[in-house]
Formats: sequence, structure tokens, C-alpha cells
Amino acid sequence: MSHTRYRVEDAGEPRVFPPEAMARIQKILTRYPTKQAALLPVLWVAQETWGWISREAAEEVARVLELPPSHVDGVLTFYTMYNLRPVGRHLLQICTSISCHLAGAEGLIEQCRARLGIGPEETSRDGKFSLVEVECIAGCDRAPSIMVNDTYYEPMDEKRLSELLDRLGREA
Amino acid sequence: MSANPPKPPAAAPPPAPAGPPKDTFTVVFDGTPIEVPKHLNLIEAAKLAGIDIPHFCFHPRLSVVGQCRMCLVEIEGIPKIQAACTTPLKDGLSVKTTTDKVKSGRAATMEFLLINHPLDCPICDQAGECTLQDNSFGYGNQLSQFDETKRQYPGFDRTLLGPHVIADMTRCIQCTRCIRFCHEIAGTSELTFLDRGGRTLVWTHDGKPLANDWSGCAADVCPVGALTTREFRFRKRVWYLNKTRSVCPGCNVGCNTSIESKEEIVYRFLPRLNPAVNDYWLCDHGRFLSESLNARDVHKATIRAGSSVQDVHVPAAIEKIAQEIRKTVETTGPSGLFFLGSAHLSNEENFLLRKIADHLACPNRDVVVDKSRTRKVKNPKEWVSGDEAGANYRGAKEMGLEPGRGGYGLEAVLSGKASPECILVADAGFAAAADDAEKVALLRRARFLGTAARTANALTRAADVVLPAASLAEKEGTFTNVQDRVQKFDRAFLPRPPIRAHWELLLMLAVAIGWGDRNWTPADVLEQIAAEVEGYGGIRAGDGELEGGALLKKGDFAWAGQP
Amino acid sequence: MEPVLTRRIGKENSRTIDGYVADGGYAAWKKVLSEGWTPERLTDEVKKSGLRGRGGAGFPTGVKWGFIPKDTKGKPIYLLCNADESEPGTFKDRLLMEQDPHQVIEGVILSAYAIKCKTAYIYIRGEFYLGARVLEKAIEEAYAKGYLGENILGSGYALDLTVHRGAGAYICGEETGLIESLEGKRGQPRIKPPFPAVSGVFNAPTIVNNVETLACVPHIVNRGAEWFAKIGRNEKNTGPKLYCISGHVNRPGVYEAAMGLQLKELIFGDAYARGMKGGRKVKAVIPGGASANMLTAAEIEDCPLDFDGVAAKGSMLGSAAIIVMNEDTCIVDAARNLSKFFSHESCGQCTPCREGTPWLFKVLDRIEEGEGRVEDIDLLARICGQMANGMTICVFSDAAIAPPLSSVSKFRDEYLHHVEKKTCLVGKRALVTA
Repeated sequence: MSHTRYRVEDAGEPRVFPPEAMARIQKILTRYPTKQAALLPVLWVAQETWGWISREAAEEVARVLELPPSHVDGVLTFYTMYNLRPVGRHLLQICTSISCHLAGAEGLIEQCRARLGIGPEETSRDGKFSLVEVECIAGCDRAPSIMVNDTYYEPMDEKRLSELLDRLGREA
Repeated sequence: MSANPPKPPAAAPPPAPAGPPKDTFTVVFDGTPIEVPKHLNLIEAAKLAGIDIPHFCFHPRLSVVGQCRMCLVEIEGIPKIQAACTTPLKDGLSVKTTTDKVKSGRAATMEFLLINHPLDCPICDQAGECTLQDNSFGYGNQLSQFDETKRQYPGFDRTLLGPHVIADMTRCIQCTRCIRFCHEIAGTSELTFLDRGGRTLVWTHDGKPLANDWSGCAADVCPVGALTTREFRFRKRVWYLNKTRSVCPGCNVGCNTSIESKEEIVYRFLPRLNPAVNDYWLCDHGRFLSESLNARDVHKATIRAGSSVQDVHVPAAIEKIAQEIRKTVETTGPSGLFFLGSAHLSNEENFLLRKIADHLACPNRDVVVDKSRTRKVKNPKEWVSGDEAGANYRGAKEMGLEPGRGGYGLEAVLSGKASPECILVADAGFAAAADDAEKVALLRRARFLGTAARTANALTRAADVVLPAASLAEKEGTFTNVQDRVQKFDRAFLPRPPIRAHWELLLMLAVAIGWGDRNWTPADVLEQIAAEVEGYGGIRAGDGELEGGALLKKGDFAWAGQP
Repeated sequence: MEPVLTRRIGKENSRTIDGYVADGGYAAWKKVLSEGWTPERLTDEVKKSGLRGRGGAGFPTGVKWGFIPKDTKGKPIYLLCNADESEPGTFKDRLLMEQDPHQVIEGVILSAYAIKCKTAYIYIRGEFYLGARVLEKAIEEAYAKGYLGENILGSGYALDLTVHRGAGAYICGEETGLIESLEGKRGQPRIKPPFPAVSGVFNAPTIVNNVETLACVPHIVNRGAEWFAKIGRNEKNTGPKLYCISGHVNRPGVYEAAMGLQLKELIFGDAYARGMKGGRKVKAVIPGGASANMLTAAEIEDCPLDFDGVAAKGSMLGSAAIIVMNEDTCIVDAARNLSKFFSHESCGQCTPCREGTPWLFKVLDRIEEGEGRVEDIDLLARICGQMANGMTICVFSDAAIAPPLSSVSKFRDEYLHHVEKKTCLVGKRALVTA
């Protein structure tokens, strides 16, 4: 029925937070009474640093926060926005909840499939695009609503999606 | 006419003296009140009232999570059904466990648990001791309306997840007992939930092995066959197994065990509840020693004559040992004898050995134990730990197996300072030294070397007489653990003749040299121990139970735990 | 009604502190400090206003604040602003945070003061990257101007405020799911009792309030509880309310009105959604987000959109997310879509929800795809009946059963058509071109 989040992929190389990331983490730690409470923000730092959270990154987070790696895994796989494998340059997140569904969100997914050759949870071979279905992103009045990385594009339709994919595809 | 004057109102009775505050609550179960200790969980309180509240995720030693939703009951004053395990006890709490709402709630939970659960009973080890089977039978509906594809976990089913545990996530009911066990008891936190919703499963980080010292306990707490032990897989259907109360031979912590056997084969150890020692737990080292009880190389008594070894009857072998002892006493005197007990033998056996030495006025007696890494187990009060690789070093020493005045011990023999002529090693597996060719060579300098054994080693190969000895499962006796607790173990099955328990062989030898009564049982010997050994007074082995007061240095006699 | 919460939306300086102050912002905070309001007085004022939680539960806010024990045994008190807005059909908090962040922040500060809290967090869903950035910038401004931090405006009161981003889990909008998530764990709701006011985040007394609820507080302080209480249909349903309307209407969006706006007015009113796209007819309306029972077209008559008004219709106002479905909508398809949402978002810790939500989806999927049997219709209702009213740890499960249960009950003919004819009664769904 839906994809699973059991496997955190290997990066194949060690992950150590660079100094700028560690500085951000130190600041984050001052805002919470426990190290564990900083886990979600620090996972965001890891994702911003490496684009996705690998097994090595999860272990680095566990080391920095002095948590069991299994605990980090439990959190990492619970929350859908943490990428467990590398994603394309542009992560297309298409909402398929009720209002966007009523507005034709599935059509946009089919359009991506036809245009980019990828379905949900897949990445285009040139590494430019990944596609995921997401649940309600609070863009219901501008349905169908989509996000690309951290930006909303709404309302979306066939024409606008085509233009957006053109533009994003042209980016170096 | 004047009526009788009205009586003055009776004086108010004096207020009742304030008693000590109650440490119990009055809880009403289905209309019947009962006093229950305040600290109990409602499920445990119900058990005191003879009521079974079915559950999966609750475990008396793990944190309460209220996740399985099986223990649903009705609480008076609350319209919705409640999970019993998360309902705090209070005075006057009124619980209903037999209403329609409760029945349909339980049936609903059972239905939900079974829709994705595989029909594995015919191939699942848990069958017969499976809470899902039991609760389904007791509280579920017979028929299912589920007509969809069951959820699968490819790659996470029938997979070895550590040296001892096989994981099959298709069977998991997400109760989190295993996760909580590893986090709260073992303290190693290997296990976690991954993903969420209907796709939730339990796994380790990166599939790393579940390898803490108590991984077998994670399989114990699993109420279904999602975690099972590798060593026991497909060995025996559990309803065929006989359960015998015993004590783990692995170290001096003395965890209480259940030897699970059938037809003279030991299939597994399970922990036996004893909140004063090991509580619900048993470490992997001890648990998986169960297999070793089935090992046997020595099937008959043997006597070496020159380079040949002859099978003989046990009485003949005993008589040979007695002869050699008498010969030594006559020529050199008692100082030429040396008796070595064992940390693996019971108090009764070590006591008999020492009595033999006493009778012969021989001061040369000893017992040694190998040191091991520290092993520990957690009970509600404390961690109990031990670092001796035998169950009864303490007991053996207290039975008197130390060099007497003017006597020498094993160290003197192995260093060459002492040269006994006649050595009796009661247990050929007494320590690693028994399989060390150099050390055995030093023992072999004696004119006569006799021993009793189950498995072969350098010592048995060097000895003049080898008696066939029983395993722990084939005899009864007592061990004294690191807490000074005397604990009894029962016999699971008789040894196959001509094999005999060490105590019987030693008793036969004692009688052969003129001491003791051939009719004594280990219980009789225990009475003598109680009479003679300081600190052991007052023990009586009744019908298998140890009675008596707390007379050891600390702690008391133990036969705690489940029958 | 003059806009209250949305007054500054769309203005040029709506996000900056200077713009906010120029528009009278932080006057409430200054008023509380300069007039020496005690926390108790502030709580009383909010109680008198009749403000009820705008996150979905509608619990009286002042009363909730009063649940903090007098003696917290040395534990600090926490205020958590619930900005996890994830209920399908809801987008009002996003608007407030992105467009008028200081209104929210002032609300947080005042409410923290009322409950004697020194440390507050805004738990914002991970998808709201922009909202988080806007809030963080605004918080920086507030610290710089001395409205946050140590010894605020010389009062001796100190408050720290941190934005904490979620990462994609609807269940973290449940207050104890939010608390678990803030503690760095999986967002699995807790057993209640204990309630968060007694033992919440970090085992300390905690109040969780919705963004819109908190945004009301500065206005209550500035203009008085009586003013607030006069707005709205009656004294149990007071104040201005943000309504989110989406679906097959001409002008979906966020609309502010006095609590108790008529549903028909919201759908058809010229000041609001201006009727059905393409002139199509209403078939069904969900009045309060995916967790609310569907209403038929007949049932939208005389339906005041407040807590008690919608409850009287057998549904709930919830997060005031009105989703309108026209006559070309397949109700079974809509129910299937909603059940997919719930099965994705179930946290998985307790049996009826973990197993029931995917089961509901699978049955609805079969029915929609023409593989249903007539027994499946009652099966849906039976499954739903086993997932609510105490069967689970939290009421996610009670929410999850609303779409299938209400649609089976009110649109049974559509289900029958699917199982008998193996096709939809109407077209699958009407595509709305933006």
C-alpha cells in the first residue's frame, strides 16, 4: 500500500559534522534541558549538511547527543521528512490529501511520471528530480498544492507544472 | 401522668484510636471487595482476586505502556472502557471484568491482532506457551472477516538477530516488551521501533546483533513467536516438556531455573521466578548451558591396568578406590591422601567428601574454582553479580573442603611442594586445570588417581579409576550462592545405570571405608549438614521444600519462585 | 465584524516588529506589565472571554491554564504553541505565522506570563519552512527589543522562546504526541492521566495551545474580555474565528468572522467562498477537518459554525476546516482518500488503530475499485465501532473512523452502487482547475 521506512542506507563514507554544523548544534543544545530533546533539530542540521540521513550520519548524531543509535533510528524512521536515501536536486512533494485530491493531485503525479519517468519514492536517473506523495501540507485553498524542497508552489496545474519542471530542469 | 423523662442523649462514643495507615487499598472486582497492596498494578491486583485480566504488553518488571489494549475493563464511574494496566489503584476502585463491553473490547483487540498475524502455529515454537493463542482461545471470536493481503516484512522475518535470537516480524504484535526489556533491564537499548502505523516493526540499529548478556530473556518476554531462541528452534513442542525446579550451574549467582526435559534429554533452561535472586531473568551463558547437560563420554566405570582400560561394574571400581586408600593409610599414613571437591558439586556431595577425609583423619582436602568475567542479573532490589565459574564454591568451602591443620591444598600439589600418593578428585570437571596436560601430569605423579566424570578430559584419560557420574539434571541437592542463599535443585530424570549421582558414588565409597549409611538420601545428608555446619542450622528438606529460619550469614533459605 | 486576527494580513510591514508596534502591537504586553497585572488576573480575563481552543478540541483556554498545580514542586512550567497544523483542510495557522508572526509571539508571551512559564516553544510542522524562518526572525527582533529574554522591559519576568521544527507527523499535533516529539522521541501520544498540566514535557507542568488561540490573547487584553465575549453566537461560543474553506468552491481561503457564522453563508456568501464552482450542487461537506463527520447537503441548512452548533448537527467544528464536495464527487473515493491519510499517520503504538486504519483503507480501496461485496459495507461500520470510545490511547482512532462511519451511514446508496454495479455512482472526482 505504501512505501516503508525500514532501511537507512549507507553513505559508504564516514560522516562527521563540519565545524559550522557543530556550531549550530552547540547553539541548539543551549535551548533544551536535555540532549535528547535536541534530536529533531540536530537531524535537520544533518539533513541540511548532507541532503539526507545515512546510517553513518545517524551514528554521528547519536554520538554527538550521547543517544543509543537505535533511538536515533526510531525517531529518524518515524518522521517522514527525513530522507533515508539520497534524493534528487529537486524533491517534488505532491500533496494527495482530500482537498488536493478533489483538485486533481493524482493527475500531477501522472504528469511527473510521464515527463520524468519516475513514480513516487523514485529519483530520475539524472539525479535531478525525486518524487514523493505527501499528506496535507496546509495549502488546501490553493489546491492542488505542491512543494519543491522547501518552497510551496500553489495552486498547481498541468501547465504550471510543466513550466516548473522546465525551469528546474534547466538549473545547472 | 408524667411520662418517663426522656433519656439524655447517650454520650458520643470516644473517637476510635487512629490505627497505622493502611498499606492496602480496598478494590472491588465484579462486586467482591478485596484488600490489595498499594504498589500493585491493577492486573496484578486482579490476579490476587483470582481474576485473569488478559494482556500482552504489561509485564510486572517493565514500565507500563498500555499499548496492546487487551486488558480493557470497565471502571465504575467512567463511561468508556479503560486499560486496567494504566488505571491507578485507589481505595474504593470498582472494576468490572465480565460486562458485554469488556467482552467485546477484548474480542475486538484479538480480532485486530489476528488480521495480520500469520497462521504460523504449526511451525512456530511459541505454540503451547503463546499468549496470543491463549487469549484468542479465551477471549477472541472464532471467525474472521479479514479478506485482504496480510502485511509482510521481507528481510525481517525468520532472521537470526544475534547469537541466540531469531526474529520474525510477521508475528510481532508491537507490544514493545522486548524493547523495554533491553532498555530498562539489560540497559543496552539495542531494540527500537522503526517506521510507524501498520508498518511498525522492531529491529536493531543497522541489523546489528542483539547480543547483550540476556538476549534469551528478550525472547522470553516476547508473548508470541516473533523472538524465539535459535538453540531451541524446532527441537520440541513445549507441551511435551517436563519442568523441573533447578539452579543454574553457570556461576555463583545461582539463578533459579526450570530444566525442561523429556525422556532423559534436556531441551532448554528457562528462568524460574525468584525475586530475591534472579527475578524473571537468566543470562545467556547460563541459559545455553542446557545443551551441555546432555553431553556424555563416560558410560561405564573403568579401571586402568597398565596400558589397557577395562570396563568394570561400579561397586568393583569403588572397591578399588577403597583398597588404594587403605593401602596408602597403612604405608604412608593419612597425610598421603588428597581429596579434591568441586564448585560444581552440591553441598551434600562436598560434605560427604569431607566426611570421608575426616574419617580417614586426612587433613589434605581442597576445592578450587575458576574465575570468570563478572556476570550479573537484576532483581527488584539490586544487581546480583558473581565471578566464579561454578555454582557452589562457597558451599563447598563451607562444607569444610579446606586444608586442615598440617594439611595441604591443590596449590601445593600443583607446585610440587606436596606429593600425595593417593588422590581422589570427586569431579573430573572441577576446573580448567583438569584439562591442562601439565597440571594433570603433576596430579599423575601420585601412585593412584581416581575420579568421577561425565565428559572426558586430560584428567579422565590419566586417571586409574573413572566412575560414571550423573549430570545436574539427574540428581538433587543444594548449592549456596553468592548471597549465602542455600538453594535446592530437583532431579529431572534418573541417570541411566550404571551412571550414578556423585553423592551416591561418594556414599558408596564412604561405606566402603567404614563410614556412613548406604541408605542415606541427599535429604538425610542435608540434615547432617544442618546439624554440623555452622550457619546451616535449621534447614530441613521437607517434601522438596527447604524450611527453616534465616540462619546463614545473610539472607535466608530459598525455595522461592513458582512451583 | 471588523477583522481582528487578520487585520494586518497583506499589509506591507506585516512581518516586522516595527510594523507590528506601529500598528499597536505589543501594547497588550506593555499594558500587562505597566499595570501590574498578576498572572491570575490575566488568566481570569481569558476565562471571562470564553476563549475556547482553536486547535480542534475547543476546550476553554482559561480553564486549561488553571489546571497547573499551585505547587509545581520546583519544576518549571512550559508553554508549547501547537503550530503543527496538519489536519486536512486546515491552513489558518500557516497564514497567521507567515503573515503576522508578532501577533502569535505576543500571544505566546502573554499566555506564558499567565501561567508563570519561563520557557516556551513553538512546535511548528517541518513543512512550514517559511513560517519557521519568519517566526525565528521575528523572535530575534523581539529579543532585541527586550520583549523576550531576561528582565523583560524591566519587569523582572524572563521568558525564552524557541522555534522547534517537526518533521512530518500529523500525530504530533496531538498534545502529548507533540510533547513526546519535543523530548526527542517518536511522537507517540501518552496515557492520560497524568494530564500535561500536571506532568507534561520533561515531566513538568505544561500547557499546549494552538496558534490561533494564542493569537487571540493580545486582543483580549487590549480590548477586554467582555468585548471578546460579545462577539460570537452565544456566551459559550465567543470571539472572532478563522474559517478555512476548500474544495469545490469558487473562492477557497481563510475567512475571519464572528464565531457562529452560518455554514451556508461561508459557502455561498459574497464575502466568503462565493458558491460552488461551475454552479455545481453541494453533495457533502466536512465541517471540521478530516476528523469530522460528513454532513449531507440537507444538513448544511442552519448550521452555525461554532463548537456547539456543529456538535448539534452530529459533527464537530474541530479546526474549522470546511471541505466542500460537489455532486460529481464519489463519496467512496473521498472516504478512501481520507482513510489513506489516517493509515499513513497512525503512530502504530496501539492495536485497534494500528491494525484498524489500514484495514479500513484496504476495504474502501476494494470497494472503490469494484471488488467490494455487500457485506463490506457493514464490515466498515463494525470495524469503526471497535476503534473508538476508549479502545485506544488517544482519539486519533476516534477521528479516523469519522469519514468511513459517517459516509456509510449517510451515503449508503453510493456504497451499494459500488458493490452491486462495481462502478462509481458519479464520476470519480470533479477536477477543479485552479
